Amino acid sequence: MSSAMLTRPYSQAANAPNAVLELDSIMKEYAGKPPVRVLHDVNLRIAAGELVAIVGPSGSGKSTMMNIIGTLDRPTRGDVLIEGQSTASLSDAKLAGLRADRIGFVFQQFHLLSGISATDNVSTGLLYRGIKRSERARRSVRALEMVGLGHRVDHRPGQLSGGERQRVAIARALVGDPSIVLADEPTGNLDSKTSDEIVELMLELNDAGSTIVVITHDNELADRLPRSVRVLDGHIDSDTGANRTDTGANTGAQR
Amino acid sequence: MTTVTGYDHPKATRRSKRSSSRSRLRFIDLIATGLLGLTTRVGRTVLTAGGIAIGIASMVSVMGISSSSRADVLAELDRLGTNLLAVQPGNSLFGDEVTLPDNASARIRRIPATQNAASLTAVQADIVRSDVMPPGRNGGMQVSATEPQLLDTLAGTMTSGRFLTDLDRELPTVVLGSDAADFFGIRSVENRPTILIGEERFAVVGVMDSLVLYPDVDRMALIGYGVAEKLFDTKPAPSTVYLRADPEFVEPVREILGRTVDPESPNSVNITRPSESLSAKAEVNKNLTNMLLGLGAVALVVGGVGIANVMVISVLERRNEIGVRRALGATRRHIAAQFVVESATLATIGGAVGVGLGAAVTVFYAKSQEWTIDVPIESLGLGIAAALIIGALAGLYPAIRAARLDPAEAVRPA
Ligand SMILES: Nc1ncnc2c1ncn2[C@@H]1O[C@H](COP(=O)(O)OP(=O)(O)O)[C@@H](O)[C@H]1O
Ligand SMILES: [Mg+2]
Repeated sequence: MSSAMLTRPYSQAANAPNAVLELDSIMKEYAGKPPVRVLHDVNLRIAAGELVAIVGPSGSGKSTMMNIIGTLDRPTRGDVLIEGQSTASLSDAKLAGLRADRIGFVFQQFHLLSGISATDNVSTGLLYRGIKRSERARRSVRALEMVGLGHRVDHRPGQLSGGERQRVAIARALVGDPSIVLADEPTGNLDSKTSDEIVELMLELNDAGSTIVVITHDNELADRLPRSVRVLDGHIDSDTGANRTDTGANTGAQR
Repeated sequence: MTTVTGYDHPKATRRSKRSSSRSRLRFIDLIATGLLGLTTRVGRTVLTAGGIAIGIASMVSVMGISSSSRADVLAELDRLGTNLLAVQPGNSLFGDEVTLPDNASARIRRIPATQNAASLTAVQADIVRSDVMPPGRNGGMQVSATEPQLLDTLAGTMTSGRFLTDLDRELPTVVLGSDAADFFGIRSVENRPTILIGEERFAVVGVMDSLVLYPDVDRMALIGYGVAEKLFDTKPAPSTVYLRADPEFVEPVREILGRTVDPESPNSVNITRPSESLSAKAEVNKNLTNMLLGLGAVALVVGGVGIANVMVISVLERRNEIGVRRALGATRRHIAAQFVVESATLATIGGAVGVGLGAAVTVFYAKSQEWTIDVPIESLGLGIAAALIIGALAGLYPAIRAARLDPAEAVRPA
């Protein structure tokens, strides 16, 4: 059952004229005296089917970059294109729609709702799409099976281990079949064994077609992923996939 | 160029054409999401709703208790009718007792806005049930001469038999008020009962139901004016004329009544409206009620401020939840609506509990006072509606704060 889930169809980067995600000359300043410039002229393309690590030391601007990629934050200058669509001129409500439809988020602290079951938590990932509750529940159970939690559907977050909670969060990000999943330090609160399992899950999901961006300060973790974008002091220092993104490689297939 | 075969699927093409995405939250899901904030924080919900419950309970019980205390008075008023006037002789300018003209009731009946009128005149005579009962032992029963119109004017009904008619004017027939009938042990006219008035035997042709509001009449034995004059020398001047006016013209009738009855000295006529003292009683009650209602409203506003407070704190505590919901696609409106629903539901729960509590207090108190229980239905609906509105208003400010949170900030660790 879960292996069937994993062979979820996905659009091919090779066929897509545009990258799933494109950062075009992003500059981000936080207001203040003087203003704090956190990102300097960042350009990045991520194609469908990629699994990319954005790696860098603490304070280098990774979370800021993720929030901008995920349209939770707006850049001071530059544009974010999601599946070729510019977001610079979109209203707040339109951006929310875009997030509901195309972007999945995973956070270091899991950010699950404590009072409700794993299924209901995952189901929140479809809540703002106007999908009926029964249909949401059906898809949520499938997503939980996909992350290996088919036996924990009725458990509440308090009854789950850290690794299991993060799997629930990952299922919530995936349940809407988004164009791109953004995970900010997804293993930051987990021990090394559990971290390994989560990385393994990411690789599997990517194999099955999901486009995933993992933000981490952990170089070892980044090295296990097909492509690493190194961030230093708010700019991209190196990118192991820079030569390939233009052709729209499917890194999942290269593993 | 690397491609992976086997992933081709119609969905892939559909996805790339997916152009406009809109964030949508079904109404039922909005309600469920608002409720979630309450069911996952039961202790807080109970405490916060408690404030509103107390406010609503006090308002509902004040309304219920005051309306129950008034219910009996108002029921009395209803039976009495507010359009009944009583005309009695007053004093002349020099303090002498005056009498009403003999034909006072006929004059009053000529006023177009008068529905009915009838006069009563006290008769100086003793009544006894039979010859065996010694005279003087009549238990305060009073003989009065009256006109056939009295029954309708006082909206009276008969227990048995009939009221006096024009034909009874000169005949030794009598109608008993309910107390008088009880006193003589006459419940029915079936066996042609008689009583002695003075020396004369009178046939009892009717027994009246209790009039309640005119206890005097209940104690009367009523006979015709003709027979009263002939046997007991009764003067035809009425001691009281009762009249029922068209309810719309009670005051105008009252104004011309003096002149109509006694054009020579209109001011020597005493006019009363029996319902007035009762409505005054109810009015006093109402003022007190309004004051207490004001206090209840203050309690309610305090409850509302309490809700607003708790909701503001809740928004601060739930920064991450709000951030995640925004990340999952909630618009600012969705977030605001969630908190308004939560707050309004919180208050409505309080309102429902308060309404129940208030009704219970009313029933308990009214029973202890032996009043007719009257919990106004509209006060129940009003109580719940007031709670809902207060809750929604109290939730507005916290909801706007929640909606304005910067999502990028909100998802960062606290
Ligand atoms: N709201 C803000 N106002 C001012 N400075 C901020 C704000 N948010 C983050 N920063 C600063 O931006 C820099 C990058 O932060 P962040 O993106 O969280 O880095 P990372 O995730 O790589 O640790 C840090 O120096 C941080 O202090
Ligand atoms: Mg960070």
